[in-house]
Amino acid sequence: MSSHEHGLPPKSSISRWFLTTNHKDVGILYIVTALFFLVFGGVLALLFRIELWEPGAQVLSELSYNQSVSAHGLLMVFWFISPFAFGFANYVVPLQMGAEDLAFPRLNALSYWLYLFSGLLFGVSFFQGSTFAGGWTMYAPLNVPAYIPDGALGATTAVLALVMFVASVTVSSVNFLTTMYRMRAEGLRMRDLPIFSVSILLTVWMMLFAFAALLAALMILSADHIIGTKYFVYQITQSGAVTRTVGNEAASLLWAHLFWFFGHPEVYIVFFPALGVMAETFQTFAGRRLVGRKWFILSMVLVALQSFMVWMHHMFLTNINLTIKTVFMATTIGISLPFDLMMFSLIYTLIKGKVRFKTPFLFTLGSVILFIVGGITGVFLGAVVLDYQFRGTYWVVAHFHYVMVGGATALFGGLYYWYPKMTGKMYDEFLGKVNFAMYFVGFNLLYFPMFVAWETPRRVFEYEAGLTVWHQIATIGGLLLGASFLVMFYNLFVSLWRGADAGDTPWEYATSAEWAVSSPPPMDNFPGLPSYRDGSLSFLSESAVAARLRGDGTASTDGGDPTADGGVATGTALDTATETHLETEDVEHADHASIWPFAVGLGAFLTMLGLSGVQQGTIVGTEYAALLGVGGVVTFGSLVAMTREPFHAPEAALAERFPYADVEKLKLGMWVFLASDVVLFGAFIGSHAFIRVAHGWREWHNLIPAEHVTMPGLINTYLLLTSSFLVVLAMVAAKKGSRRGTVLSLVGTLALGIGFLVNKALEWQHLFHVHSEAFPQGWDLSTNVASSTFYLTTGLHGAHVAVGLVICAYMTIRAWNGAYQGDPDAIEYFGLYWHFVDIVWLFLFPLFYIL
Amino acid sequence: MFYVNKLRDICYRNDFYLSLLLTKDMAGSWLGAHIDGVLLHAGDVRAPADVFGDIYQVFLILGTLVGVVVIAYTLYNSYKYRAQDGAAPESVDRPSLGELPTSGGGGRKLFLSFSISAIIVLSLIGWTYTTLLYVENEPAQHEDRMDVDVVGHRFSWEFVYPNGHSATGTLRVPKNELVQLHLTSNDVFHNFGVPELRVKADAIPGQTTTAWFVGKETGEYAAHCYELCGSGHSYMDATVVVMERDAYREWYNTTSGGNETEAVKP
Repeated sequence: MSSHEHGLPPKSSISRWFLTTNHKDVGILYIVTALFFLVFGGVLALLFRIELWEPGAQVLSELSYNQSVSAHGLLMVFWFISPFAFGFANYVVPLQMGAEDLAFPRLNALSYWLYLFSGLLFGVSFFQGSTFAGGWTMYAPLNVPAYIPDGALGATTAVLALVMFVASVTVSSVNFLTTMYRMRAEGLRMRDLPIFSVSILLTVWMMLFAFAALLAALMILSADHIIGTKYFVYQITQSGAVTRTVGNEAASLLWAHLFWFFGHPEVYIVFFPALGVMAETFQTFAGRRLVGRKWFILSMVLVALQSFMVWMHHMFLTNINLTIKTVFMATTIGISLPFDLMMFSLIYTLIKGKVRFKTPFLFTLGSVILFIVGGITGVFLGAVVLDYQFRGTYWVVAHFHYVMVGGATALFGGLYYWYPKMTGKMYDEFLGKVNFAMYFVGFNLLYFPMFVAWETPRRVFEYEAGLTVWHQIATIGGLLLGASFLVMFYNLFVSLWRGADAGDTPWEYATSAEWAVSSPPPMDNFPGLPSYRDGSLSFLSESAVAARLRGDGTASTDGGDPTADGGVATGTALDTATETHLETEDVEHADHASIWPFAVGLGAFLTMLGLSGVQQGTIVGTEYAALLGVGGVVTFGSLVAMTREPFHAPEAALAERFPYADVEKLKLGMWVFLASDVVLFGAFIGSHAFIRVAHGWREWHNLIPAEHVTMPGLINTYLLLTSSFLVVLAMVAAKKGSRRGTVLSLVGTLALGIGFLVNKALEWQHLFHVHSEAFPQGWDLSTNVASSTFYLTTGLHGAHVAVGLVICAYMTIRAWNGAYQGDPDAIEYFGLYWHFVDIVWLFLFPLFYIL
Repeated sequence: MFYVNKLRDICYRNDFYLSLLLTKDMAGSWLGAHIDGVLLHAGDVRAPADVFGDIYQVFLILGTLVGVVVIAYTLYNSYKYRAQDGAAPESVDRPSLGELPTSGGGGRKLFLSFSISAIIVLSLIGWTYTTLLYVENEPAQHEDRMDVDVVGHRFSWEFVYPNGHSATGTLRVPKNELVQLHLTSNDVFHNFGVPELRVKADAIPGQTTTAWFVGKETGEYAAHCYELCGSGHSYMDATVVVMERDAYREWYNTTSGGNETEAVKP
């Protein structure tokens, strides 16, 4: 193992795990944490499986039952499967693509801490009366406080935990995309990425957009809880001289659309990494290359694109019309076909293979079989007439468990597959096989009877007595499935000490780069700069890299040529070269450790917990106010500290960067983030339009007071446009090296931005306190759906402006101290954000002031 | 609407051929319900329960068949090509560490099997699509249907008859009558379903959905809520009572302001 830990304490020290930003450490943290949430969600499942031993509520109360069912779904879908897969992604993808780390290591650690703390926050929600009990699909209006007993604190916390989780996912998506497009080894084109990395790439693209839609839904839902907007409230009571109740016809359907627009891609987000593991292990354990690899990848791309066009098949029994049903039936069936191709491709890969039934392969082979069953039963659901009857029954439950837990099965295979790489030790093969046998039998005993007993409605504990025997078999299967994990944990834990040394690669025929380095890999991953220029992996010495950079195309990879025994570079010359390389790097390297990602996560946790104590605009206790205050200070302070901390993220001198060779990594990261922000605002604007159409486009005006005039909006449009212009001036001045010009332009931007917010505050203050006949109590967030959408959408934009101003203020101070001169990149990236915020306003202004 | 009808006509024609491939008598009974044209009495109507039963059966048989074949083939291959000790040296080109990923051969086979699976799936779905059109459009063909409003409350079902009579927990309908339900909710998202009659629809606050059925046998049928709606969700049941037509009329006349004509003609 490398002695170069870049200032990090050793792995045996607890403090290392709080400080680390290394992708391999973060990967392990993800895996261990995800397994913890698997146990959490699994125990809840066992609780209600025991409850279902016979009809009626014996063990759990009605509400406890609903809580267990809901929390089980949320924990497994959000806090277990995807993070588990992203543990592998973190560990393996940089190795497979030849990168030393992710593009933004500290953001990667931040993603992890936000993930962990969001899960802990969800755990806390159980102790605030009760946690969310409305099912993992969180249908409206059951998800608003009016229908939640005990003050809704726990439910609010659960929603905020999800918001925090989505923040983690978004940061992670930006990070992975930037990394994968800009940091591949020389000669490794996008299409040459190993299949697991390809699956992660596509997963991340889907995550970027799907989770932005979920973020919109969750932000709106938290606003309904915390500040009292009325998006998902069905009956809105407006008090006044005459108290009247107005129905919000859009409430339920709006949630369903937003949720499923996220929810269906989510199925593939969960499943794609599993597909990647299946393909990877099938190749290795069959000793064959993936049949039709190109078509396999193309199928995945098609699915990833089409996943955003199938969501309404979850709504076939709502009042959508026949034409839409037809379209969505067609897209749904269309999206199932590429999976047929992928399954056949996997099966044909076995032919002429040398199949070795090691534990990882047993799990992935099992996974393929389970997925075939899940896929076939899914076609049943694609037939709309059948779907009508399966809706809300155990058919759906059985089907998606075959698909999702079937996918998780492949991930468990991945755990066994990469365990030797991560730990340097082999697990016990016999116990692994015992684990698989118990798992596979338990799985089928648990879920197959659900197809037989499919007439049972979902999420009930009352069912027909005739079905009891099937539910009892399922419960026994559940216990067996649970027990199989005890074997897994025992095996993996004990093997850390007793396992045989795994060597670089314990698997014959493995091809990808992670197997070409030691187990576990050294801090810097590779014994030289990885390159595929000669058609296979070699590691370039420092001098070879230097020669390459001088443009000496014929430079040999001295010592780095693949050796005959499997293409791994191990020459002594290379080793020496690498050592020197590392030593020189160490001088330049700032510390690889940072406590600030952890601190930001902790701060966010405290803030969110404090926020849960705010219900409908009033804070329920001083302890919550204190949490909110402390949390805010910790979060903001840590963010500033993180910005000021010197930190070096490695970037290879030679790398494949197509198509973003000319886009610096921060800039690419900013673009990717803005892409997700487009979806966020799109969902907010879409929600507004949806509610307005449902209410009546013209009648909408009756919900808005005459005092809501165009002028404040118009003034703000001018303010923002001018400020955008000033940012450009600041950039030009910085390029020219004019400190004065830079500072003045930035101060101007700041002033105009503040003007925008002040103007908005005055406008809102006025509207809050109107006294007209129609609105005797003023026009505030809770008055009606029109006020809710107005304040929340423009408020989200205002928050973007405020964040921009904080950054702008920070940059102004730095510019005053002489930064950016001749190096205006940072101002340019801020400008991108600022122009984007500006453009959003150009949509909001007509929508909320003119139409 | 023109295009939908056009599509429907085309599908009917395709359905004929498709049905020949599947089961002959099913096709007969299905086409019979349509081509015979005017139906005098809803007892002959192919009710959603019949539609579901037929399709479900075909899917179950084909699904099991495909599943067994594919899984068996997978297991067969993995066993046949298992690694064996002391096997003769082979001429197969195995992947090596550090190579750039490429495809294994076998693309043709891949496309052949993919095409077969696509044909099976598309035919099945094409066939069921015609039945979807039937299920969606049939109530409009029946002027003499009975319309009932169903309102979901936490945690009970309210049924409002054409004469304004409202009852909670029990829906009474005459035998062999096409019953069209108009569902909504008073509070949260519910879903009304009667498994034996194969009728189900969401009950959404602020929205109206429809679903229909024909009770061909007298008796009591259990209805449940199929969307989680709160602590009482598990108990949110109702009973649908299918009565002899005379008995139903008699009962209906006792309800407020009702008479026979209003009962059957909305």
